[in-house]
Amino acid sequence: MKKSLGWLLILFCFSVHAQTTNYQVYSVFVVSIAKYSSWPESDAKDFKIAVLGKSKVYEELIKTTTSKDINGKKVVITQTEDAPISDLPHIIYVSEGKSSQLADLLKKLEGKPVMIIAEREGLFKKGANFSFVVLDNNMLRFDINRKELENHQIKISKNLISLANETI
Amino acid sequence: MNVWRCLSVCLLLSFFSIRSVAQNLDSLLNLSAFTAESDLQKQLNQLAKVGVGKALTTRETPGILSVISSDEIRKMGARDITDILRTIPGFDIGQDVQFVAGVSFRGNWANEGKVLFLIDGQQVNDLLYQTVPLINNFAVDAIDKIEIIRGPGSAVYGGSAEYAVVNIITKQASSLNGVSAYGIGGFHSSSVGRTNGGVMVAQKSKNVQWDLGFFQGKGKVSDQNNYVDQLQAANVNYPTSDLAKVTSADPMNVNVGLKVNGLSVRGMYNGYKTNDPVNFTKYDNYSADIKYEFKINNKLTLTPQYVYMNQIPWSWGTVSDGAYALQARATRSLANLTANYSLNRKINIVGGAVYFADKGVDLLSDNAYFGGQDFNLYNYAIFAQGLIKGRLANVTVGARYEKNNRAGDAFVPRLALTKKIENFHFKVLYSQAFRSPAIENQHLALTGKVVPEKSNVAELELGYQFTPEMLLAVNAFYLNTTNVITYQYLPDGTEGYQNFSRSGSSGVELVYSLRKRNWNMNLNYSYAHANTNSTVDTYKVPQTNAQFVGMPASKLVGVFNFSITQNISWNLTGIYSGKRYAYTNYDVDGNPISTSLDPYVLANSFVNFETKGFVFGVGAYDIFNQKPVIPQAYNGNYAPIPGRSREYVVKISYQLNFKSR
Repeated sequence: MKKSLGWLLILFCFSVHAQTTNYQVYSVFVVSIAKYSSWPESDAKDFKIAVLGKSKVYEELIKTTTSKDINGKKVVITQTEDAPISDLPHIIYVSEGKSSQLADLLKKLEGKPVMIIAEREGLFKKGANFSFVVLDNNMLRFDINRKELENHQIKISKNLISLANETI
Repeated sequence: MNVWRCLSVCLLLSFFSIRSVAQNLDSLLNLSAFTAESDLQKQLNQLAKVGVGKALTTRETPGILSVISSDEIRKMGARDITDILRTIPGFDIGQDVQFVAGVSFRGNWANEGKVLFLIDGQQVNDLLYQTVPLINNFAVDAIDKIEIIRGPGSAVYGGSAEYAVVNIITKQASSLNGVSAYGIGGFHSSSVGRTNGGVMVAQKSKNVQWDLGFFQGKGKVSDQNNYVDQLQAANVNYPTSDLAKVTSADPMNVNVGLKVNGLSVRGMYNGYKTNDPVNFTKYDNYSADIKYEFKINNKLTLTPQYVYMNQIPWSWGTVSDGAYALQARATRSLANLTANYSLNRKINIVGGAVYFADKGVDLLSDNAYFGGQDFNLYNYAIFAQGLIKGRLANVTVGARYEKNNRAGDAFVPRLALTKKIENFHFKVLYSQAFRSPAIENQHLALTGKVVPEKSNVAELELGYQFTPEMLLAVNAFYLNTTNVITYQYLPDGTEGYQNFSRSGSSGVELVYSLRKRNWNMNLNYSYAHANTNSTVDTYKVPQTNAQFVGMPASKLVGVFNFSITQNISWNLTGIYSGKRYAYTNYDVDGNPISTSLDPYVLANSFVNFETKGFVFGVGAYDIFNQKPVIPQAYNGNYAPIPGRSREYVVKISYQLNFKSR
């Protein structure tokens, strides 16, 4: 029995390095979306992206944006367990685990210039500005809720819209 | 840092920096949501369609699935289909009668109508009994891949797929665009075991594809000398024989296909001849299949199909004078209409209707076998299946209803929940399945008629991918069969079929795969425990009620492959099979005696040299010369087929690819 448990432990140790979802690609998408979007004028020095909940995309965003800028602004990545009320970021990335908080988030941020990008597929229909979708060929895409983007005073380029899997 | 992670980071960085990605949005179109695939992941991410409907990856498809690639077959140096099936969890080989060997699965005899064999969509199982002879059969070097559903397939495939489906896809019908020729020689210490060879040619362009394949072989069932079947010898004149001289296992296959846009046509001939020292058995089976995929729109496809089968299966007679005891033609005309509707990316619905008519005609001069007239079976079936790809699980719900003019009706529903969540996957499967009585099951019914056999099968699979190169999957099954259609050979010499109330098995299967750059291994273990409430006496042995006759409870398989250089690989296969029981002789009162057969280890070694389309392989099968026998899978008056001795194998093949058009 002890031997079996030992083997199981050894096998599970391998799992530390195992990952199948490529969060680096998710982070590249987030940055690209940011680059091709525009927010109302503000005096914020930094371009802030907050990751709501735990997601590996947080580490990947830090790596992807180190020493880089978005629209001339230094990029600051933060992680939070609760929806920010003050010092609002430009983008809130809603992790899979926090998907159920989307409705609250939308209420709190109604009309405010914060882009909401959801990790979970289909949430664009529930008010997220963008939500990711994995196609049958495993390629990553996003869906866009343009009406909600307007409500948040954010404009996005036509090129970005043309890449969307679905828009409403 | 994990190698694959490093690789994926480097790849991404090498293709585009953050700025260039943002500048070139089109490059986002080609980014996978998943990390770079390892060899194992490529295999796992292959799309497989269990039956009809939408294809899913092997870890999400609604069935317990084994996929064997041409690469694996080539490297292991498989001689025939038995070498491949023995490496698959739950599968084993048993004898029917007259040295004809068939398949057993999960501890049950499954030769007649329980496992459906398909080659490029053509049914191999015969129409009289639904059997498939296995020794030295099938052109294994022509195979592109085999998808094996280790579980029921009736809801989709109908009444010959009660326990499992072996779906063989040839190179000519899939990947080959060129010419390929192959040959195999197998040599025992004092005789030639087999000489098989074939050729395939296929040309594929955007709208037109055609292919042609021919395979023929000559082989032996065994090479044992001074052999006498003690059970048979009590009833017939059974000469002491050198089996290398008197037996045969000679397959032949002709396969022709054409595809023009949505129209597909395929014709096939499957021939097989074998004999023991007393009787010969022959199969001459033709089939033709035409279907057209009407793409009504992006969401709806309609596929009408017509299949015609014309067979003279299981004709047999005596070797000494060549006289036939049975020679009957069986034909099937089948019409099928399938509709496939994809409501959206997440919901797929498939439904259809099938009608087929089977006819048996005696070919012997007295025309007495079917009472001087044709023997007809008429079937119609409707089926439907829905797939919903959900966030928490993919849900597959389906059912099939089939009605036969003699056997009555059968209704079999199925439900499957599957999902891969990052490294973990699960499958929860429940199916009912049935075996539709074939012509001979009804014709030789001992009690007036035979009704459809039915199984309830529950399966649970859990899998975890520990690293991109390593996967462990464990599944448990419970299989309960009722109205078991069973062949009976009664003491007074009468033979026939009748339903017995129940049989089946339960057990576990474990698969562990590890694929490194220069080596890989597949380990699997399977255990089956016979249902102790089985009422089929002919499957039982007095020593235990945990195993049926001829079936091992445990099987352990290890397949190791090493790439010594870029061109040379070495494959080692080890198969351990646990203790079995077989009827081997009579006691003084004339009752058959069951004997315990020792466990055996089959060790096979094969070396391949490959360069520029040319493959040369050499190896040895059964290195330890264990000669595992093939017991009859029921108490039917035949002693086990003696095992063949160590066999040295040479394989040569060459493939010339056409230029893409």
